[in-house]
Amino acid sequence: MSSIAIPHVPAAPPRRGLTTWQAWGAILIAPYVLVFLAFVLYPVSYGLWLARHPESYVQLFADPIFIRTVVNTVFFLLIAVNLKFLLALWLSGFFVHERTWIRWLSVVFLLPWAVPSIPTIFSIRFMFNPEWGVINSVIFRLTGLDGPNWLNDPHIGLGLAMLTHIWKSLPFWTLILIAGRLSIPREQYEAAAVDGASAWQKFKYVTWPSLRTLYLTSTILSMIWSLGDFNSVYLLTGGGPADLTHVLATLGIRYIRLDQVDLAMATIVCAMPLVLPLVYYMMKHLSK
Amino acid sequence: MASVVFDSIFKSFGSTKVLHGISLDISDGEFMVLVGPSGCGKSTLLRMLAGLEDITGGTIAIDGRVVNDLDSKDRDIAMVFQSYALYPHMTVRENMGFSLRLRKESVRRIAEGVDRAAKILNLGPYLDRYPRELSGGQRQRVAMGRAIVRDPKVFLFDEPLSNLDAKLRVAMRSEIKALHQRLKTTTVYVTHDQVEAMTMADRIAVMNEGRIEQLGEPLELYDRPANLFVAQFIGSPAMNVFEGIFRKDAVEALGVRWPATVKAAEGQSVTYGIRPEHLSFGAQGIPAQIEVVEPMGAETEVLVRIGGQSFTVMTHGRASYGPGERVMVSPQAAHAHLFDISSGRRL
Amino acid sequence: MKRFTREAVLLLIAVPILLWTLLPIYHIFLFSISSKDSAFSGTLWPDQPTLRNFGTIFRQEHFYLHHFWSQIWNSLWIAVAVGVITLAIATCAAFAISRLKVRGGRAVMNLALFTYFIPAAFLAIPMYKAMGMYGLLNSRWSLVLAMVTLAAPYAIWVLKQASDKLPIELDEAAKIDGATPLQLFRLVYLPLMTPSLIAIGTYALLLAWNEYLYAYLLLSHEQTIPLAVALGHFIAADDSPWELLMATGLVYALPPAAIYYAFRRYMVSGLTAGAVKA
Repeated sequence: MSSIAIPHVPAAPPRRGLTTWQAWGAILIAPYVLVFLAFVLYPVSYGLWLARHPESYVQLFADPIFIRTVVNTVFFLLIAVNLKFLLALWLSGFFVHERTWIRWLSVVFLLPWAVPSIPTIFSIRFMFNPEWGVINSVIFRLTGLDGPNWLNDPHIGLGLAMLTHIWKSLPFWTLILIAGRLSIPREQYEAAAVDGASAWQKFKYVTWPSLRTLYLTSTILSMIWSLGDFNSVYLLTGGGPADLTHVLATLGIRYIRLDQVDLAMATIVCAMPLVLPLVYYMMKHLSK
Repeated sequence: MASVVFDSIFKSFGSTKVLHGISLDISDGEFMVLVGPSGCGKSTLLRMLAGLEDITGGTIAIDGRVVNDLDSKDRDIAMVFQSYALYPHMTVRENMGFSLRLRKESVRRIAEGVDRAAKILNLGPYLDRYPRELSGGQRQRVAMGRAIVRDPKVFLFDEPLSNLDAKLRVAMRSEIKALHQRLKTTTVYVTHDQVEAMTMADRIAVMNEGRIEQLGEPLELYDRPANLFVAQFIGSPAMNVFEGIFRKDAVEALGVRWPATVKAAEGQSVTYGIRPEHLSFGAQGIPAQIEVVEPMGAETEVLVRIGGQSFTVMTHGRASYGPGERVMVSPQAAHAHLFDISSGRRL
Repeated sequence: MKRFTREAVLLLIAVPILLWTLLPIYHIFLFSISSKDSAFSGTLWPDQPTLRNFGTIFRQEHFYLHHFWSQIWNSLWIAVAVGVITLAIATCAAFAISRLKVRGGRAVMNLALFTYFIPAAFLAIPMYKAMGMYGLLNSRWSLVLAMVTLAAPYAIWVLKQASDKLPIELDEAAKIDGATPLQLFRLVYLPLMTPSLIAIGTYALLLAWNEYLYAYLLLSHEQTIPLAVALGHFIAADDSPWELLMATGLVYALPPAAIYYAFRRYMVSGLTAGAVKA
């Protein structure tokens, strides 16, 4: 036992001010916070302030294009996104098979996501050109008939925009679902096989329960993002013919080009009832 | 080399109190082991000494200087972690020299320090390898090498052998002990394994639920445990304990009289404890029935049943009994321990 | 026999996938190597494949292509700036949140993710007005900062997940070894995070290079616009040289395809790391 004379201090003196570590924490997170304040918080607040005039909304709802746009957007969300995810679910099951050639195929499969939209969507647009596009040329060569004027029909036009959207974003979501499938332990499938499960039963009792949450949250997130898919419609049909294939994203931009900023912001605000329930669901799920 | 003094250390995580006023004096050059079950607070105490946890109340002093407000790097300590915590992207040499590099020492000084430590621990052939290429024992030695290079006042060990297999653990125990005898640095060692504590420590602090149950030299804890907890924690196989009533130099329990040299009050309820090696088989004694015989080579562990309770008996050499046989067991009265039945304190 | 049917089924599925994926891309290629006439004949392979279109582009010989080289340089400059700045900001933020456990870190993380709950096209409009107020319109910095805003939250999320996987004992050992926060960041954290850093850097770079809408809104001078916007101009007139457009498009699409191919392992693991956690 050593004998050291130190004063008997009953409680530890509290630390004053920030430690070096805490100070650096604040310094390192500051750049992002500044970016957020300047380029998210301020613009959004300003935008909402711009959308405060009730006249904008009256004007908006009086415009027949607007109603049509809302209908288009809802269709887009419900059909395109869900179709995309069903495909992604199915394809993810395909891509998890362990073959070298399938792995190479998956590399090619991701290309639409990696390459820029402008050339690819223009490419699709030209393919469907009624006079000289390859699609109609092939139809003519096979049947001697003229193919339809694809992009000039509002329904087909919107349908093709949805198809374009799927073409572009399917690979990304398939990849996400593949990752989800790969995280399911192999033993569960082996146990199911031993128990005599068929392929469908394996999916129902092993794959789906583990994948379900990821599938749902991804679908919701994709719906939110699809609301903002400007390229698929704008680059394919330009919103035409006669502004009949607009979605809320392209309509907003149209108003900006006409210098009607208030209407543009009002369009976005009108989209909120679509977005907010989705956001609410995501927040509830992510705050874990 | 320095002394370490914990003075009335309190620690709370939020509203949960984990340490209730720990005071401990560690002398210069001493090998102090903190031992106890999971959650007793030993690692927390060590980490507070290291500067990795805040101190809620009390002071810690190294070499007479209160270190409460000092950053880890200014406390002149080195720590060996349970998971070794080697930097995966650096070679062994770089791992060991890292602290010197941070202090911007010259390349020559760093090389000298690393080579010296490498020689002590026989790490020469591994200096240019990466941690992932080493076995568990080698990694542990690199972790120790990293600590030695710092030439600190105090070595801290946080359950360093828990991740090693049994044989390696035994070998490393001696290495650490030999290292301590050579360097004579004050060492604070945390473990949950009482065998490690017994074999390595100069003194042991047995902790439970945020308090020190007993502080003393290993054999002192073994021969004279201060309370029931220490008695059952130290020693393997564990001490046999049961409750009874003290009457006339013996404890009546399980329908039998158990002799004891220690005295208690007449009619007092007590807990009787006797270690397995202090029970022997013979012609006379307490009737028992053998349940299981576990031959270990040099000794034999026998599980017997007396009055409905299981007892462990340790005998030298081989036992000629088999399961189911009836035998006589006699306790050595001089080695019987009596504890107060409510507080558990030794009588 | 069962194995054979299995393989046959897989191949049967693979063919449509391949066709579906490559058709629009092949079509770009088809147009780029066609002369103006054969492009409009609707054939699947040009009668006389030619590289003349590329010559026209590189010599900036057409009206729409007068500033090709400065435009592609703009794309490159913007993409690299976005990649570097996003990486810098996100790495610092992720380090602060995950290792330094800065107070309010989780709140910042959630706020960042909130950016993704605003569809990008919707954020573009107020962003356009805000950039106007900051006086940044028509400066390349407006696009750079806008893209950093869009890329950073995902970057921080992925980096934070990757960070959390590093054992905390490494930080503690470094602290005891005497490391300051900056030394820990530079000598321990960054080297161990390298694969994730590469994934995120490439992601941000590709995002910026491929962007159209924001570039279109924020930049308009013929010489400051990136290649994406220049390509958009082609579509304005009816008699534009489509084969030149597609050829330029091919040139524009090659770098991201190449980068994607080179860094695909990093990108895939970076993408999916964030996903499964969610």
